[in-house]
Parts: sequence; structure tokens; C-alpha cells
Amino acid sequence: MAEHKRDWYRLDLSAIVYPTLQRKDFSSVYRLSVLLKEKVDPDILQQAVDRTMPRFPTYKTAMRRGLFWRYLEPNTRPGPFVRPDVKNPCQPMNVKADNRYLVRFYYYRNRISLEAHHSLGDGTGGMYLLLTLTAEYLRLMGHGEIENGGYVLDIHEEPDPGELEDAYLRYANAKVCPPRPGEKTYRVRGTKEPFYTLNIIDGIMSVSAVRAVAGKYGASITEYLNAVLLYALLRKQEESSLFRLRPVRIAMPVNLRRFFPSKTLRNFITMIYPGVDPRLGKYTFEEIVTQVHHYMRYYVNEKFLRGDITTNARTQSNPFIRVVPLWLKDLVVRQFYTKVQDRNSSAGLTNMGALRVPESMEPYIERFDIYMGQPFSNRTNCAIISFGDVLTVNFASSIVETDVERFFFRKLVQDGIPVKIESNRESRGPERQGPKRQELERQELERQEPKRQELERQELERRELERQETERQGSERQKPERQEG
Amino acid sequence: MSYCVNCGVELDASAKECPLCGTPVLNPREIRKENVETPFPKEKAQVEEIRSKDFGWLVTMVSLATAVTCGLLNRFAFPGRPWSLAVIGACVTFWVFLIPVVIFRKWSPFLYILLDGTAVIWYLYLIARMVERFEWFYELGIPIALWVTFLAEVFAVAVMKLPRSILARALYFFTVMGILCVGIELAIDSYAQVPRRLGWSAVVLTVCAIIDIAIVTTLSQRKLRNELKRRLHF
Repeated sequence: MAEHKRDWYRLDLSAIVYPTLQRKDFSSVYRLSVLLKEKVDPDILQQAVDRTMPRFPTYKTAMRRGLFWRYLEPNTRPGPFVRPDVKNPCQPMNVKADNRYLVRFYYYRNRISLEAHHSLGDGTGGMYLLLTLTAEYLRLMGHGEIENGGYVLDIHEEPDPGELEDAYLRYANAKVCPPRPGEKTYRVRGTKEPFYTLNIIDGIMSVSAVRAVAGKYGASITEYLNAVLLYALLRKQEESSLFRLRPVRIAMPVNLRRFFPSKTLRNFITMIYPGVDPRLGKYTFEEIVTQVHHYMRYYVNEKFLRGDITTNARTQSNPFIRVVPLWLKDLVVRQFYTKVQDRNSSAGLTNMGALRVPESMEPYIERFDIYMGQPFSNRTNCAIISFGDVLTVNFASSIVETDVERFFFRKLVQDGIPVKIESNRESRGPERQGPKRQELERQELERQEPKRQELERQELERRELERQETERQGSERQKPERQEG
Repeated sequence: MSYCVNCGVELDASAKECPLCGTPVLNPREIRKENVETPFPKEKAQVEEIRSKDFGWLVTMVSLATAVTCGLLNRFAFPGRPWSLAVIGACVTFWVFLIPVVIFRKWSPFLYILLDGTAVIWYLYLIARMVERFEWFYELGIPIALWVTFLAEVFAVAVMKLPRSILARALYFFTVMGILCVGIELAIDSYAQVPRRLGWSAVVLTVCAIIDIAIVTTLSQRKLRNELKRRLHF
């Protein structure tokens, strides 16, 4: 029997946690976007979605509650339907809404976005879906030459059983469960945005520029950007002049497929926590880079990661835990997450690395954006992805303040990396800086307005003159031609 | 193409200020364009609300089944006194009280209170039918039920239309409670056929009045109110 004909799927090991954190105003939803070089046609995109979804049985599912665990069952309701993009992405996902689909597809100008509930799969799994869809879309648009390979799966093929497996269970076989370090870390205090807002700030830069700077510090791009985020958080902590300092740590998912061969499209990640402790003294930026560099080299290897997975799996396989009813599990897990897990890190950072697409697809793609989604507590999450020579750093936050983002990008600019910023934030600048500053700024703007208008008028005049000049020259050039004719 | 003078980052053509620091973009060399395409859409989305009707169905069916089976039992198995009226009345009252929770959630609260009051009076009537004595129902049951319903409506109006801080709500609550007790005592007096006189309810009324005066004083003195807020914040 083909595996995908199964009529239900257990949630995988890390997917169990995400639905328990579900609140009216929070769901673990991440977003992956691809920016094409042409405008997206929604009708063709819908066709592409309809053709692609059957290839991904674990994404075409609905979540149900059992007595002891939640599970996924194939969803045969109509959908999912593509829709115009919105200003506030990564909306909470009610498992019963939207025909019970846990994926959403959006389009805006040249952007195709996929939002998926994290219990279906991790960013890598989602990227397979997004790129297979994009390839199919491009083919339907008449670019028939696009081949399969890499993240683009063959939609006419039967799903491989390996793609649907819970890969954690296969590799959770260490003989010992190493304990997890748990310590309260610095948490960004911010003003919560009203329900429901997701603030996005994208930084777009050149991979080669970042690589050159990272190389100067003797670090990889991930390590360098990690260090910059730590630096930004440290600066923020210093400026907040708190009563007591706390260590600053970043929660960073590691893609386990790099270490344990698996084709799974579901979750297969684990968290590592690079960080520095300012209570030991003031860190210079170079020291932060060194610290992160060595942390990564020490922890990110097959042995440590295997231990980590085993610790995870051991909890779930405990028979005493398994027979506890689901609502009680939810209660305990949620408490644990809010009190321990969430306080274990000051921010989230994920790096999907350099994305490869089939060569024939490259000319149609401009860049990628990925978002870790709405943060569980008031903080900011950062996601990095690169394609060709374009590296994007995408911040998603649910707070008004932009201090962390500002420190982050200013540090990059200081290090000589040109950054371009895009954002969905509205004009809230003055609000962030208090009423006095607001008043001063307003006065300053008013004072400058006549000058600005004058300059604008001059500029318009100058352009008009220039235009007349070129026209005159053009007609003079044409005259002799006509005479010759 | 503009750069933020404060942060040094390049900004999108549509940006009116730096998203990082809020510094306005003032570039006289760049002619201001309206309706520049923004990198993100401007329309906000709302979260879809999903309401399960299952629980409403369950409640309706269970109360209906209880009422019907008890009625049949009373009619065929244990004929005699109409005891099933008590059960049927309880089921109906329970169902009416649950209307705002599980069935129709969008109605006005005044209507809910009115329905609840009606259901209670109807239930009392069934009990009176069952025991076959009506004088308590007319002289005690109906007046008190009407009085409670009326005061509940008044309280609802106060909470919805007047200031609704915690202190203000406490004020409405204690006022309504004092008046309620007076009404109850008067009704009992008239039923017992003793001269109508304020007895225990006067004590309750006094206590409520004292509490009300304390609340009004606190509400009217801003300093006092702030002091309380400071000392008791949680």
C-alpha cells in the first residue's frame, strides 16, 4: 500500500508543541515568499496550487484532536485558494477556519507567498512546496523548459514514503539524554502592538559584501549575522538600564537534514542557543564573533544533535506521559513553554542559507523572503535567506519599538555593507520617540517646508529646461538629416 | 532613491520616513510622487471567526430528551402527581439561561435578561401547578421575579451606558442590591399580612449606602483615586 494513502498522520516530535501554544491571537505560522521578475497571475497560480497540492499529502491536511494526541488527516474540502496579500501577514490560524486548511497562498504584484502552520513542517519542507508550486506556475505561464530537481519535486510522481516520515524517531537513538541548559535570559521589553499587527522590516544586501566582512572577522555569514544580532540585543539591554543584567541568547533552529540523511518534508529541526553573558564583562564585537564561532563549531555536529533529539523523543515516548489526556498535556506544555522555553532566548534567528533552484528557473526569480512569523512573546524574530547575490534579513516583530532592528542594520552599515530597507510599518516614528520630540520634529518640518517646496520648484524648472534643451538639440540634429534626404 | 540620514540605509521609493528610526525622508531633489507602489500591500486582513454549534446542539438535545422522557415516565410509569413539571421547567429554564452562551450570541443583553426573567416566572408557575397552591406564586413569586428582572435590566443599562470603571460598577452593584432587599422585604411583609415596615432590609440598605458614599467620594477625588490605584495595582 502506498504510504500516502494513509488516512491519518501522527504529528511529528516538534509539531506536537506548536498547536498547544495556539491562542486566539497567536499561531505558529511561518511565511516563505518568492519574488518573481514578472507580475503574478492569480488564476494561473490557483491552477498551479491545485496541481501541486496532491503531491504534498502532509500539507493537504486538517488537524484534529484525539483523546491523547492531535493528528493530521487528509483534507478533501475545496481549497486551498490563493488570495491577495495582506498588510499583516502570519495571521493566527484557527484550525477550523478556512476549510480546515493549514496552508495559505497569497499573491501581491510579483510576490508569491506561502504561509504554513509549523505543525505541518519546517521551513525546508515549506520551501519544497513553494518552489514546486513556483516551478509549476512558471511552466503554466509558458516557460516549459523548467526541469525538476533540488527543491522542485516532480508533481506527477507518487510521494516518497520518506517524505512523510517523522525523521526524529529514526535518529533518536543516543544512549544518554543530555540535559538542556535552562536559564532566564534578557527579554526585550516593548510596547505591544494592537491585535493583530505584524511589523516587518526587510534588509536587502549583497552576499559577497557580507561574506567579505564576515571573512574579515574570521567567521561564516551565519556566525557573523548571529553576532550582529547578539550585539544589537546587548546594546538594547544596555540602553534599557535594567536593574540586573541577564545573558543574551539567540534561539536558532538547525536543519537536521544536513547531519542525518532524510527526505522528510515535515519538521526536522532542533534548537541551539548561541549567546554571551554580559555579567562577565563588556564584550567587544570581535569577542562576540569569536564566541559564536566557537559555540557553533562545538555544538553543531552530529553527536550533540543526536543527543538533543534523544532528549526530545524520550519525553514523548514515556508511557506515563502518553496516557495523560490531551487537555492536561496542553496545560503543562503551555506552562512549560511560557515559563521556561520562551525565556530561554532573547530573540529567534534562522538562516536558510543560500537557496539553489534549477538553473532554468533562475532567470525568473528575483529574491526570496522568509519570516519566522509572529513571536510568541513581545520580541523580534529574524530570518535570513540568500539567493544568487541577494541576501535578505527579515525581521518580524509584534512590538512598536525598532531598537533591535536599528542597532542591527546600523552595525552592518558601519561595517561597510550597503543595506536597503523595506517595511510594512506605517508612519509611527514620532510616536516611538515621545511627545516632546514629536513636537520638535513637527516644528522642524514646518520650518523646512517652504524651503523644500522652493527647492522642489527649482528642480522642476531645471528639469523642464533640460527637457527643452534636449528637444531643441534633437530637432537640430534631425534637420540636416532631412536636408540630406 | 533616498538614504536615511540617521542610519545610512537605503530606503524604498515609497518610504516617507526611515522604518528603523522614524527620521522623515526629505529629499528636495526627488519630486514627491503620490501612489508609489509599496513593497507590501496596504489592506489589512481580519481573523476569521469560527464558532462551533456542536455544544449548542448537545445542550438542546440533552435538555429536550430529559424533558420528554420525564414527561412520558410521569404519564405512563408513575402517574399521580405531575412531578415531571418540575423537571421539564428546570430543563427549559436551563436552556434559556444558556442561550447567550451557546446558541444566539449576538442578541442584546437586555433581551437575554428579559427571557431569563420570563423563564423563571414560568418555572415558578409550573411548580405552583404541581403543588396546586397559587397564592405564594401570585403574592411572592411574581413580584420578586419581576423586581429582580427589572433591577437586572437597570444594572445592565448602568454598566453599558454609564462609566464602567471597576469602582463605578461596584457603585451600581451596591445601589441595586440595597434597593433589591427593600423590595424583597416589602413583598414578604405583604405575603405574611403583617404591616409593611422596613426591618432587616434597612440594615442592608444602610451598609450599601455607606459603601456607596465611600465609592462616590473616591470617584470624585482624583488624588484619592490615583493613590488607591498606586497602592493597589496588580
